[in-house]
Amino acid sequence: MAIDEAILRELQQQGSDVLPTLRLYGWKKPSVSLGYFQNVTTEVNIPFCRRNDIPIIRRPTGGKAVLHDDDLTYAVIAREDDRLFPGGLVGTYKVISQCIAAGLEKLGVRADMVEEGRPSDGADFQAFCFSAPSQHELLVEKRKICGSAQIRSKGVFLQHGSLLMSFDPLQTCRTLIPSGADAAALQRRVTSLYEYADRAAVDRGICGILKEAFEECLEIRLIDGSLTEAEEKMKSHLLNSKYRDSRWNMEGKRLYED
Amino acid sequence: MTGFIEDLLFSREHVWVRVDGVIATIGITDYAQEILGEILSVDLPSMDGYVEQDEPFGTIEAKKTTAELISPVSGDVISVNEDLSDDVGIVNSDPYNTGWMIVVAMSDTSELDELLDADEYGDFVEEEERGR
Repeated sequence: MAIDEAILRELQQQGSDVLPTLRLYGWKKPSVSLGYFQNVTTEVNIPFCRRNDIPIIRRPTGGKAVLHDDDLTYAVIAREDDRLFPGGLVGTYKVISQCIAAGLEKLGVRADMVEEGRPSDGADFQAFCFSAPSQHELLVEKRKICGSAQIRSKGVFLQHGSLLMSFDPLQTCRTLIPSGADAAALQRRVTSLYEYADRAAVDRGICGILKEAFEECLEIRLIDGSLTEAEEKMKSHLLNSKYRDSRWNMEGKRLYED
Repeated sequence: MTGFIEDLLFSREHVWVRVDGVIATIGITDYAQEILGEILSVDLPSMDGYVEQDEPFGTIEAKKTTAELISPVSGDVISVNEDLSDDVGIVNSDPYNTGWMIVVAMSDTSELDELLDADEYGDFVEEEERGR
């Protein structure tokens, strides 16, 4: 999270000639990420997370909670006026979803983009990212496979997304959703890549496949990169002042007040 | 474009300012609320906070995205619109009046020179729209 935000902050300082960034990453151990505005006490089973050593972190992006257990997380950071992402706010979701859908297609998985968002089923599911698809998110056979959320600031956007490799509705209910939630109902609404694609092919090449898909859809060539000195410095600052701070992660305390 | 108010100043971050001496009332523009769509909540500084020009003073959660609010001026926050915690929808329905967000006692009124008047802001928005 600190890296993603560091890239966002540094891009805000730079001119329009700075290239956009795509990051693809996994999580070292199962973790929960919360949306910027979510209330951790009502939306996450904190005792369960503590017992099972599941860290809880708050994203800078909006949206709902995600259990990062067996998923691939992506971050796209770019200027709002970047020619690759036309069509404003909604256009950004659409373009990125098209890239991911093209990647899934390479694995033989046909994903459809949601034209209009639909509400989640009930109160039990409302805190969970995958409970209801929003406009331009991806469904496979009407079940959500990839969720996304954004933050926009000073002409730059960061979009996070989570593409599920596998999905464990029981563990999700234990971790995120108030007890009594119906795991079977959740199972009917959510799917994952392993259900449709060859597991070995996914494990071997999902990052490369997605990179290729972004390159083809956007007609660009991705260049492997690492953080600049300024981004490293900003990352350390954000780690210490924000992402390692329970006031941010648990309370969402506004740091601009400090 | 509709909803511009002649006596306001505007930032390029789509925030308006109503100036009365050193007191600045701040909110988001009609254009901003239209782009964001349905606003679900807003996170604002507390009354004793200090805001800095061109730095975030709050965050807005809309149906389609989360967006940082960038302060057009620097100064002490002397009032926060409490009505928004009961009904944040007034930012969508009445952004220039009841949907105001904070009031700031400005520490440097010369910062206002960097803001746009209604006509200039209208041109700026048109240009942004063309770029989309």
